[in-house]
Amino acid sequence: MSTVIDGSASVTINSGAILGITSGTAVASTSGTSIDFTSIPSWVKRITVMFNGVSTSGTSSIQVQIGAGSVLTSGYNAGVGLINNSSFTTTSNISSGFATIPTGVNTAAYIHYGQMILSSMGSNTWAVSGNFIYPAALNIMMVAGAVALSGTLDRVRLTTVNGTDTFDAGSINILYEG
Amino acid sequence: MTHRIVVNVETGVVSQVEYTAEEQAVHDAAVAAQALAEAVAIQQQQTNESA
Repeated sequence: MSTVIDGSASVTINSGAILGITSGTAVASTSGTSIDFTSIPSWVKRITVMFNGVSTSGTSSIQVQIGAGSVLTSGYNAGVGLINNSSFTTTSNISSGFATIPTGVNTAAYIHYGQMILSSMGSNTWAVSGNFIYPAALNIMMVAGAVALSGTLDRVRLTTVNGTDTFDAGSINILYEG
Repeated sequence: MTHRIVVNVETGVVSQVEYTAEEQAVHDAAVAAQALAEAVAIQQQQTNESA
């Protein structure tokens, strides 16, 4: 007997994983100090975090953190670099999360467009790569890194390194897949 | 009060979660410390420029 999957509905396999890509709920990043995506299913192997015009009130770098039961706030092996059309380059090692922009570059005027992809390596270790742009200055940011969680990932947080700057523009969403 | 946004991807429910009094106190202290550090940095820069 043949089985036809035409994309009109999700298909669940034995482990509970849903075949295909599932979209979260897009939310406005226009207030608050963090945006958490919680209850991410245990079968997820890849998560895409998408930024559409995300901005904050201050100068602290925006970062993505992940967690298992609670958000992990240290121990990230990660770095972020920036290039622009006048060949300005700078890099930062930031261990509190996967930062989208090097230290000392962000301003209240900065707007982020782009995405970050988190991939499971197994054993609760997640590798990351991402690219963002601030079009007004043609600044392009590149982030890479990895981190090991103590358990199964169940949440993704968007926040700032200082944790006190607030989001004031744009929207964010995630995609997740098994 | 300061708040965070929480999106439950299972239910699709989006919530605005207000800081607890303890979280707000930590937040306010951090903001005050940052303002002080920035003021000190500006003062140091002005001192260096006038030297």
